[in-house]
Amino acid sequence: MTNRTIDNNRRKFLKQAGAGMAAVAGAGMVPLRSYADDTLVVGMNIPMTGDYAPWGLPGLYDCEIIANNINAAGGVEIGGKSYQIRVAAYDHAYDTEKALQGFKKLVLEDDAKMVMMLGGSTVASVLPWATRKKVLTTTLLPSDITPDSDYLFATCESHPLYNVTGVVWLAQNYPEAKKAVIVTNNDAEYGLQSAATYKAAFEVAGIEVVDVNLHGFDVTDFAPIVSSVLAKNPDIFCMATSFYVTPLMEQLYHQGFDGKIISCTLDYYEEIIAKTSEEFVNGTIYQFPDFDDPMLNNEGIHFPDPGGFDAAFRKDHPNDWSAVAWEYPAILLNWIENAQRVGSGESEDVAKYLRNNSQNFVFGGGDWWGSQLWGLDHALVGRWPVVVIENGKARIQEYGDLSAWLADHTEVLVRHMKELGLRTV
Amino acid sequence: MLAKHRTLMTIVLILAGLLILPHYLKYHQQDFLIFLVVNVLVVASYRLVTLTGEWSLIHAVMMGIGAYTSGMLTKFLDFSFWISLPLAGVVAGLTAALLSFPLFRTTQFYFLIGSFAAGEAIRLSWIHFIRPFGGTSGISALPSPELLGIDFLEPIPYFYLTLAIVTACLVILYRIEKSRIGLTLHAVHWQAPLAESVGINTWNYRTLAFTTGSMFVGIAGALKVHYIGTVTPNQYGIGFMVFILIWLIVGGYKTFYGAILGVIILSILDEMFRELEVIRPAVYGAVLILFILYLPDGLESLPQKIASRIKGASPKGSHS
Repeated sequence: MTNRTIDNNRRKFLKQAGAGMAAVAGAGMVPLRSYADDTLVVGMNIPMTGDYAPWGLPGLYDCEIIANNINAAGGVEIGGKSYQIRVAAYDHAYDTEKALQGFKKLVLEDDAKMVMMLGGSTVASVLPWATRKKVLTTTLLPSDITPDSDYLFATCESHPLYNVTGVVWLAQNYPEAKKAVIVTNNDAEYGLQSAATYKAAFEVAGIEVVDVNLHGFDVTDFAPIVSSVLAKNPDIFCMATSFYVTPLMEQLYHQGFDGKIISCTLDYYEEIIAKTSEEFVNGTIYQFPDFDDPMLNNEGIHFPDPGGFDAAFRKDHPNDWSAVAWEYPAILLNWIENAQRVGSGESEDVAKYLRNNSQNFVFGGGDWWGSQLWGLDHALVGRWPVVVIENGKARIQEYGDLSAWLADHTEVLVRHMKELGLRTV
Repeated sequence: MLAKHRTLMTIVLILAGLLILPHYLKYHQQDFLIFLVVNVLVVASYRLVTLTGEWSLIHAVMMGIGAYTSGMLTKFLDFSFWISLPLAGVVAGLTAALLSFPLFRTTQFYFLIGSFAAGEAIRLSWIHFIRPFGGTSGISALPSPELLGIDFLEPIPYFYLTLAIVTACLVILYRIEKSRIGLTLHAVHWQAPLAESVGINTWNYRTLAFTTGSMFVGIAGALKVHYIGTVTPNQYGIGFMVFILIWLIVGGYKTFYGAILGVIILSILDEMFRELEVIRPAVYGAVLILFILYLPDGLESLPQKIASRIKGASPKGSHS
């Protein structure tokens, strides 16, 4: 993650240096930006630099690809009028102050009709203002949803709920695996949410969790952590984290773990293979597909030309594909679809439509969920892919039915969330 | 007397300028202005701590203590902002007073490291104890202040509120420095053995500066979080502490206005260079090194240096 961030940062810097210098020269009281009447602006208030950049920047690249394709094809027709789509981005570097500034800039100065965000504390900082001003906002972390966040929706990623589909698949295909350990960073935004979900999924699947290791963000040496959990002789090593997957995988490799590995994400798995071996990484289960996967051409997938999209991204950004690369575009496409249905791109109109109508989820299905956990049914859940590394390549094995699991086991999930001290209604 | 009037006039003009400034700024720049004014109080209060010669690395955490105190009082106990704001300062000040007992058993470098360790212990406890601190997510949906139906969620009213409170705090900090206590703090810094020889309890004065500075930064913390609406531990980490140090060193810590100058100029530069976020730490590092090498007394010494250069150059010119 760190090396990737640095690479991203370097590339970002080289690209932005020229533009940045020009911006510096002209900074100050420049007039408000105005776009033509036939342009709809969509905002991205995301981390493009810093440790969280891999969960922002690839999404921006992809939204630009989507917007360029739409515009090249003549734009989108909304309410009987054709519009060009423009993506306006603000780099908040995962800082709450900047997130608030950026959000206001996008809405009030760039006239963004919808603002996409990563989630966490940056969403919390904009939420009071966004709710007051009725600005349609999206997050990749449904745990940001609160009982009164009327304009916040999670229309794509249902972190960390989808993790249950991986566990269900693992239990079905490897019934002999009965003991699991969970390792994650001890934070309420990402790690603990995932840990609670995995614990619930393992309990439902009849798998015993023999150790949960919660470590801080300042850990640099994962050898002792991995040693201590492997001492419990687990059949399954579960990474309920997205931050430290690479160093954990390296340690598992060096310490000779030969059980099943399940993870929330496996970003930049090619690097992991390079640092370990293809044989070792093969069989790792996680939840985020590459978009050249043949299974994405199946019926029920609600994403146009995934293969072409994947190729277009990798042509310009060969090493930047991450879990979020397709998520922001999926949110953008969902917004366009809803704006077309309601005949308006205005925040309030689209938000109202979202609240009251069923949706097509990117991988099929699509139910609003969340009131049992966060107070509002503003998280769109549907089928979610279970991905396994095969011959050094990510391949979807099946689409798990998240809605069905939640319908049957929500109380288990809520219990585990509460046990870890996480916010529930 | 004339100089005093001139200073007063300058302050009045600056305040008048600040009163109209937000109306000419873009929306997100109004937010920036609020955070800048809060940071002025942060750095001015830190300077009070350093007057005794002890530089701490806990000031950002003290700001966090104020922020968490006010956030928790308003969110969980329904306190009014107007009560939680001074209490934020009181709790931060009391924490500093308690920490003074172990920390001021040391001085200089050991105090610096000790304060860092104490600060990290506090900050990590906010992360570890999800109840009541909220872990890394912190506490969100903090209420805005309420007064006479004014909408403090909007930037301009909140800016005026911040400006009023920060101005009042700065006046108090200035008066402290110019009082007998302030002179004693300087004496503790520059002539500690001599001060002790005439009966001054240096431990007491170091504690007083540390506690008072922490109290004011606690107020700054409360001001900030009730505008953002959320308080998280990452806002008050060592990264922010480094910024405070750089603002003070670059601005200069010998005069009251030097530190303020540092935070204003660097923050504006920072905002202008935000497109180059990736190299910002490197730029800050380079600026710090250059100032230490070539302008060790900070920006505050620049007019004097220029004046002396001109004076030094003139006679030479006339000879030639």
